[in-house]
Amino acid sequence: MNSISIANVSFAYRDTRRAALRELSLQVAEGQICAVVGRGGAGKSTLCALCAGFIPQFFAGAIRGSAHVDGQDVITTPIAQLTRHVALVTTNPASQISGARFTVFEEVAFGLENIGMPVPEMRSRVEWALGAMGIADLGERSPFALSGGQQQRMVIAAALALKPPVLVLDEPITQLDPHAANNLAALLRSLAGQGTTILVAEHRLDWVAELADQVVALDDGQLIAEGTPAVVFGNPLLAERGIRMLRTQRVTPKPSPTAAVTRAAPLLTLDSVSYNYPGGVAALRNVSLAIGAGEQVAMLGRNGAGKSTLARHLNGLLRPESGQVLVAGQDTRRASVASCARHVGLVFQDVRNQLFARTARDELRFGPRNLRYPPAKIEALVDSALDALGLREVADEHPYDLPYAMRRLVAIAAVVAMDSPVLVLDEPTAGLDTSAVERLVQLCQQRAARGTSTIVITHDLDFAYAALDRVILLDAGTIALDAHWDTLDAAQSALLDASVGLPSGGLGVQPPK
Amino acid sequence: MLYLPGNGTLHRLHPLTKLVGALLVAVAVTLYPRPPLLLGALALLVLVALTTGVARRLFVIALGLLLPLVVSLFLIQGVLFPPAGAVAFATFGPFRLTYEGLLFAALIAGRLLTIAIALLLVLLTTHPADLVAALTGAGLPRSVGYALLVALQIAPDMVARAGAILDAQQSRGLAVGRGIARLRALPALVGPLLVGALGDVEERAMAIEARAFLGSGPKSSLRVLHDSAVQRGARWFMLVLMLALIVLRVVGLRGPV
Repeated sequence: MNSISIANVSFAYRDTRRAALRELSLQVAEGQICAVVGRGGAGKSTLCALCAGFIPQFFAGAIRGSAHVDGQDVITTPIAQLTRHVALVTTNPASQISGARFTVFEEVAFGLENIGMPVPEMRSRVEWALGAMGIADLGERSPFALSGGQQQRMVIAAALALKPPVLVLDEPITQLDPHAANNLAALLRSLAGQGTTILVAEHRLDWVAELADQVVALDDGQLIAEGTPAVVFGNPLLAERGIRMLRTQRVTPKPSPTAAVTRAAPLLTLDSVSYNYPGGVAALRNVSLAIGAGEQVAMLGRNGAGKSTLARHLNGLLRPESGQVLVAGQDTRRASVASCARHVGLVFQDVRNQLFARTARDELRFGPRNLRYPPAKIEALVDSALDALGLREVADEHPYDLPYAMRRLVAIAAVVAMDSPVLVLDEPTAGLDTSAVERLVQLCQQRAARGTSTIVITHDLDFAYAALDRVILLDAGTIALDAHWDTLDAAQSALLDASVGLPSGGLGVQPPK
Repeated sequence: MLYLPGNGTLHRLHPLTKLVGALLVAVAVTLYPRPPLLLGALALLVLVALTTGVARRLFVIALGLLLPLVVSLFLIQGVLFPPAGAVAFATFGPFRLTYEGLLFAALIAGRLLTIAIALLLVLLTTHPADLVAALTGAGLPRSVGYALLVALQIAPDMVARAGAILDAQQSRGLAVGRGIARLRALPALVGPLLVGALGDVEERAMAIEARAFLGSGPKSSLRVLHDSAVQRGARWFMLVLMLALIVLRVVGLRGPV
């Protein structure tokens, strides 16, 4: 019997002309894992919302066709009733926290309370779900005090606790480190083995290929390919429509910048930097590092290794408790963040904390204006940043009217436009489709050619391998590894593998011709 | 959040018992502002606070909250503008200290202090989630209870987000100066905060609906509130007493003094 059965569904959100889904038909058998792939804006999230009844009941619009999930007509059955048949986890973990519960344990129990489950059973369910997601030790923490990756695991645990016959996950691994992503895949396989039907939308095609029994590819609301992962990913139509894995083969193994260059002109120097969080937990211990002109650096490490704390030291947002950070020769303890911004641009993960202007172009002007560049220079910088990220066509649109991937590129372009010699990006590829990730690869390549540096904090090993040269691995606040992809020895790659994994294509470097 | 974890008698009482008790104290001292009653109630509350282990925190909050009010009360009623016809027992230049003025100020201050301490004792010894669970059990709509709890937690979350926005915009060269410069920085700081908050509302509504918040049928609660026949009896007794006090007061006002 099919758990998910969708027949000829077309849907357009109210107040839009363009259909989000067109004549979509899909069958998923009980106990199967079906992955939905497609570029940003292809209709993946709409399909997920449809399967849990949120379309057209929560997001109004015009719908045709029929859709049944676990035997329920999801178009007409009230969402409250559907919650016993299907659980949905959407993309942004932080805003899925109920807000009415004070600990992670209670937060995961929230849905169970709402269906009136007796307390002893509820406790064992919550314990199971937390254990399954590897966050049993966080039970007594506040949901708001978790990292993004921890919150993502918590909201998935909250859905699992409901033990739904059908589980719908919209981009469940955007904030997970590779180990957590692998653990989730194993868990989903075991749930499917016990009869749970799973629909999962995800950009990370390598993860999808390992996980799914069945893949459907969407483009512009239409199903363009369907079948086993091998069949679908072998279909040339996908690559044509921009649904492809990132080419992780390094095109030309570049000679690593010599140590002499780094020493001669470091743009950024950290000298024995240590920093403790309030409460005394050591975040950084004795970190020393120099970033030379043109270096493209991957900053890797598991959740909580100190990557974000390090990033905040690079432009003076945090100041070292001992040791020093020099930005263009200036000690950050004697410089304002705003003045460091001329030399180091930093883009945070949450674009919502950054975007505020009416058009993408205005958003890009903000940084260079703050640096008091002359108007002509500002316009030139803005144009070149728009081109670098392929945003020329949407320059006059409101950033919040753009699909998520574009919005993120706008946030990055807004800092690129400041023309700072060092650019720091925090998890820039999370939630991006491959064509957007390729833009970022090109950006790094352009910066390398121009002699400007990029430091990317990332869990995305494929991106790090394709775009960046130098690899720094942080572990518990110290530098565990500082090397270059092209010169990694066996011990170093084993260390990397054990800590954050390796690129999905391995470290196969083609010999230079 | 005012709650201080603990395991004293007051902590273990059912939230409604504490709430009705505090209400009774408030009604009594409001309707019968006699010095012996006030002093007795205050002494009792202080004793309870001392045995519950929340006394220090209680006094810090009560002082911070009420001291400015109490001081101005004494200044205005007792010293600057005593009640008409009051006889001064001491004068300092234009200021006259009157017995009636000071008594009046003391009575008002005593009432405020007693009511505040009674309510603070409830809040300090009751987890907000337990309080809302108890109120919901007593008939408060679940949506109102939800809104109360969200409001409690969203405020600190908004502060954290405001900090993150400040970090993001400073990293784009925004100099957060003083005066006019600070005003100019406002759109870049407030805009993301508003957009984020609005977006969260929709996504959160969707998330709690996906977790059966609007489902009909019986609910359960992870927070187990311990109640007892004795406590239920006490609550009814206090409610009846409260009603009696109100009736007596109304009758007393009408009857001969």
